[in-house]
Amino acid sequence: MLCLTTSIIAQKNIDPTEADIKTAKTIREKHNKSDVAILKSIENVSFSSSKNHNTVEVLYKINETLMNINHRADIQKYEFYDSESEIKTFNLKYRNNKATNFRVNDEFYKSNDLFYNDARVKYIELDFPVQGYTYEYEMEKRIKDIKYFTSIYFNDEFPVIEKEITIEVPNWLELEIKEFNFGQNDIKKTITDKDGIKTYKYSIKNIEPSAKEGNLPGPSYLYPHILCIAKSFTEKGEKKILFNSTADLYSWYKSLIDSMNNDPAALQTKVKELTASTKNDEEKIKNIYYWVQDNIRYIAFEDGIAGFKPDDAQNVFQKRYGDCKGMANLTKQMLKLAGFDARVTWIGTNHIAYDYSIPSLSVDNHMICTLFKDGKKYFLDGTEKYNSFGEYAERIQGKEVLIEDGAKFIVDKVPVIDSKANTDKIVINYKIENDNLVGTINKEFSGESRASFLYNYNNVKNDKKEDALKWFIASNDKNYAISNIKTSDINNRDKTLELSYDVNLANQVSSFDNEIYIDIDYDKEYQHLNLKERKKDFMLSYKTFDDITVNLEIPEGYKVSKLPTNLDVKTTDYDFSLKYEVKGNKIIYKKQFNFKKGIIKASGLEEWKKNHESLLKNYAEQIVLTK
Amino acid sequence: MKMKLKFTLLFLFGILFISNAQDKNKIAKEFFWGANDAYKNITTIPEKYKNESAVEIIKYENYDYHKFGKSITYTTSFRKRIKLLDQASVTDYSEFSYGKNATVGIKIIKPDGKEIEIDIKKEAVEQDNQIKIAVSNLEIGDIIDYYSQVSDMFTSTYEYGFDPVEKTLGSTYPIMNYKLEFQTENDFFVNFNTYNGAPKLKEIPIKKGNERKYELEAKDIEKNDFPRWFLPLVELPCYKFQVFFARSGKFEERAEAFLPESEKIVKSVVSKKDVFDFYNSKFKPSGDINVIETFLKGKSFKTTEEKVKEVYYFTRHQFYTRYVEAFVIDEAKIMYPFDLYGYNPIFFTKEQQFINYFMQFLRKSKIDFDIIVTTGRENGPIKDILIESNSRILLKIYTENPIYFGFFTPYSSPDIFMSEIEFTDAYALKVENNKKVDDIVEIKLPGTTYKDNVTKVTTNLKLSPDFNDIIINKTSSLYGHNKEFEQEAKVLFYDYVNEDYEKYGTTPVLDLVSNKKKKEQYKKEFDALIKKIKVTKNERFKSEAENEYGVKLDKHELIMKNTGRFGKNDPLSFEENFTITNSLIKKAGPNYILEIGKFITSQVDIEEKEAARTNNIYSVFPRTYEYTIVLDVPQGYTISGLEKLNTTIENETGSFKTTAEIKNNKLTIVSTKCYYHYFEPNANWKKMIAFLDAAYQFSQEKILLKKN
Repeated sequence: MLCLTTSIIAQKNIDPTEADIKTAKTIREKHNKSDVAILKSIENVSFSSSKNHNTVEVLYKINETLMNINHRADIQKYEFYDSESEIKTFNLKYRNNKATNFRVNDEFYKSNDLFYNDARVKYIELDFPVQGYTYEYEMEKRIKDIKYFTSIYFNDEFPVIEKEITIEVPNWLELEIKEFNFGQNDIKKTITDKDGIKTYKYSIKNIEPSAKEGNLPGPSYLYPHILCIAKSFTEKGEKKILFNSTADLYSWYKSLIDSMNNDPAALQTKVKELTASTKNDEEKIKNIYYWVQDNIRYIAFEDGIAGFKPDDAQNVFQKRYGDCKGMANLTKQMLKLAGFDARVTWIGTNHIAYDYSIPSLSVDNHMICTLFKDGKKYFLDGTEKYNSFGEYAERIQGKEVLIEDGAKFIVDKVPVIDSKANTDKIVINYKIENDNLVGTINKEFSGESRASFLYNYNNVKNDKKEDALKWFIASNDKNYAISNIKTSDINNRDKTLELSYDVNLANQVSSFDNEIYIDIDYDKEYQHLNLKERKKDFMLSYKTFDDITVNLEIPEGYKVSKLPTNLDVKTTDYDFSLKYEVKGNKIIYKKQFNFKKGIIKASGLEEWKKNHESLLKNYAEQIVLTK
Repeated sequence: MKMKLKFTLLFLFGILFISNAQDKNKIAKEFFWGANDAYKNITTIPEKYKNESAVEIIKYENYDYHKFGKSITYTTSFRKRIKLLDQASVTDYSEFSYGKNATVGIKIIKPDGKEIEIDIKKEAVEQDNQIKIAVSNLEIGDIIDYYSQVSDMFTSTYEYGFDPVEKTLGSTYPIMNYKLEFQTENDFFVNFNTYNGAPKLKEIPIKKGNERKYELEAKDIEKNDFPRWFLPLVELPCYKFQVFFARSGKFEERAEAFLPESEKIVKSVVSKKDVFDFYNSKFKPSGDINVIETFLKGKSFKTTEEKVKEVYYFTRHQFYTRYVEAFVIDEAKIMYPFDLYGYNPIFFTKEQQFINYFMQFLRKSKIDFDIIVTTGRENGPIKDILIESNSRILLKIYTENPIYFGFFTPYSSPDIFMSEIEFTDAYALKVENNKKVDDIVEIKLPGTTYKDNVTKVTTNLKLSPDFNDIIINKTSSLYGHNKEFEQEAKVLFYDYVNEDYEKYGTTPVLDLVSNKKKKEQYKKEFDALIKKIKVTKNERFKSEAENEYGVKLDKHELIMKNTGRFGKNDPLSFEENFTITNSLIKKAGPNYILEIGKFITSQVDIEEKEAARTNNIYSVFPRTYEYTIVLDVPQGYTISGLEKLNTTIENETGSFKTTAEIKNNKLTIVSTKCYYHYFEPNANWKKMIAFLDAAYQFSQEKILLKKN
């Protein structure tokens, strides 16, 4: 009760003024999907030498004024930290600078992808009871080692009206600041040099909130930000190199690899078993690579150095689980035992916009294994289940790799593969029986579409596999009756996967008087890809190529009186075409969709809207047969 | 004497020492995997289970109740030994997580017989209050054998009711062996029974005189894999039990449980007499009914029935909805409002309170009544009731037409009661002089029919001149039980709270704040909260409509017309306006095909696997859905395809009837679907499918708009 009284007294001066409410309304008009806006944000970064003088510490401070621009808002304000950082200050005050009494929670950050990691989160759950209400937020974080201080993003989950970032670089620290995605934003930069400190100041106005859409490229592609690269620092006249060039980044990575205690002897028996009675080298390699895919579960422990140093091969082998680093190292050790030249390889997936010309920990997020054979390089990724040797997952295609080469290193690139490698080929033969479409369907899957089918199918419970297959084909649609399902070997990840079945499709054909109206296209691919409200690039899971042919036998006594109009669309990112023709007593409907870049760029969204509308219009057209 | 004391002391200290985790582990390991483990050598599974995802070789549960001085110790133990036959089950069992207070052991048995015990201490990681383990070296074909034991110790001076347990024997996977054990001692009262063919509980003789041990064993249990419209505890082998701790007779009386006469007996049946003995002391008229008398002053009613109903609605507000705003204000942390109601505001939270208060009113008004005790259909019949919290209480009031009603919800009416207890066998407690329960008789409760629980939806369709848009105005009226789900979903608290405030002239809670400035501020904040809730609710209604029709909508408006809170025939009604663009209408040359059937919205579709169902069918309650579709026929077009829109399917389980005609340039279709009963034996399943399929097929029908 005492608390209640105190807070009532403090009520004065914490309520919004008329001006506040006006500001809130104005901002809300522009940002009508956000509940809260950051009126002003001031960030400050400064550096000091670490206690043991081996590295540099970073002190990061932020002060923000948060305002509720909706009627009422309930949000969480949070900050992450881990074993390499510490939050020194984290509080929230009313607009009159008096402390609030919201509880500060401090918990492990539980990630869906990582089994265990040392990331923690400090957070406050707060409410803004009326429009225009404000809070002052203050946070101070100390990062113990500058190599873990990589980027500062200018955007936030809430719209930012005004932001100022100052970075005070002392003259004993050589720090390079790289700028990304400044293009369309109102950003002013000033650099001042005084008393041995070079201060970089960025002033930005009106930053859009982070997109909440799905299928987004990684943030490094989208939002204005800077990367801080600490190259070296001077302590008592002695220059100590941090990450001056890629060689230094590699040097640190290599030291972690060298500090492992691999015991290949533990893998000997298994490697012998996998390479016995094989016809050639390729078979040996596949047996090993596929064994790692099939038998090592992805369970990731990323606490402290385990986030960067792979687990010893014999541990991963014995535990039958590991993360990408553990699997890459195990693949390397097993291939080496079999007599091949295999190396661990660092890589940033397509989630990351940078390449190895930048020496920073934010450049990569994944590890694979490179096999050197007959003058070629092959990239093996144990986390990509059912991946076929020689094929590469979309997320690593076109990305630079950093391959170990003793004291040296090799930078290369994973080749980009054409969408045709992921072809879904479908041939359907129908005839009309009692207003139903009856016939057979033959499907072929290659590349990524084959791999994802095999992965999902093999992870369904044994007793549910038949149901799962039916669901995959027809989503439990009562109109779609399936029988006689046949598949090619579902344990073979190299060959094209074949699936065939008989079908009886109801309610696609309607008869009225002398006419039959047919909706020949049951699947209507991409009809739901409605991007009307979208603002940012749309990334597909991979470059798709759909090649579909439907053959419909015209019933006796009928002729075709109307066919839907053909549609042919060609753009830089994708092509699609829908063609109808009559040949003898058959209607042949050919469809092709080629998302050759695997992305619809933001600049192409207007065009996609138009093309998608044409696609829907075409799908809505019927074939008309007249007696 | 001295020896005994020493032993007791040692024993007590022993308990304290056992808080050492290592000892806990040793004891647990011996308990589950030690010399008495009858399952440790079972590694093979029957041929018939070879295509399963996994098979449980043993599923074991143990509940232990003991007391030491003022404390009760409750230990639950659980063990499973499972053979993993596919990737899915290996993935499921690769990761364990559990609370910090559990003692856990895990071991793997390889196909060659080698046993590998997981070193929990080494492998476990802790995240806040959870322990997680990634299980090493687990492969298809392995057996995983794990146990978990949790001990709760707490002080209870008088009485304590443990949560009742009601479970089917079955699990996600087939079970080869199932065993349930529990131990109790003096002052612990046990109710336990098994149903639907599950084996009976056996008492196991043990040496200690004041302790008792019981066991239930079963073999070869099929996995739980039942379809929709099914009540597992009614048909599948299951067990129910409850343990109640009561130090002496005085506390036994206060127990909210049907206690056995002595702790030495396990109570497996609660008889009519037991029910009578339990309730006859619980119900007596009590409470100050001045507020009702004030309400009734100056009012006249045509019948006693009308008067009792009005009193029901009034008390629903006075003792329930009147406080709802306060709860919302408190939860949103605007202020603490409950003091504003003065000293000791009366808010009914329990059935007994409600019954006793009404008894007072009925007694003073000299209106006769019975108190009805029954149980929901999902629990089985009343003769099998075992757990007191499964009972449901109603009042049967002998007005001109007898009415039955139970405890309030914001939407409840006095002329209809919970569908789960309609038509059930029940007990009527007779009340002498309307004061004291003095007898019990068996009765059968009445219920509603498909004519009481009705949904009427009228959808008016207009097509835009370019045939791209379908402009829709939809009005829905719901009656009887059909209202309930939608009232929870669509009526928001301020709809019914404001309605009641107006009807009864109640002052809204914030108006009771005396300080003018504070009152203004709280009202501002409360208004902001309501505005936010309205925006959120409108977004939700829009996405519900989008899901219903499978399309995206630009705009959607829902207007609440009537909350339907005053009688079973007082409809919940609301109106919706929205436009569907580029969907459900297809071009075919100069003509158009309209998917008219979609406007009765999605219908239950029973496909192949479900059609082969072998279980009986427990539908929620008999009900009717009447869909009227009115389409303005566009000028210059005629409609073909009406024959498919005129059909009738009717049989003893239900019906689907539809008529379509064109009159005054409007196509009017009326489709009615009825479920006649709340239960159908499996033999009638095909008949149900007949009308369900007809309704589904109708939803797929199309009409042709032919250009003249």
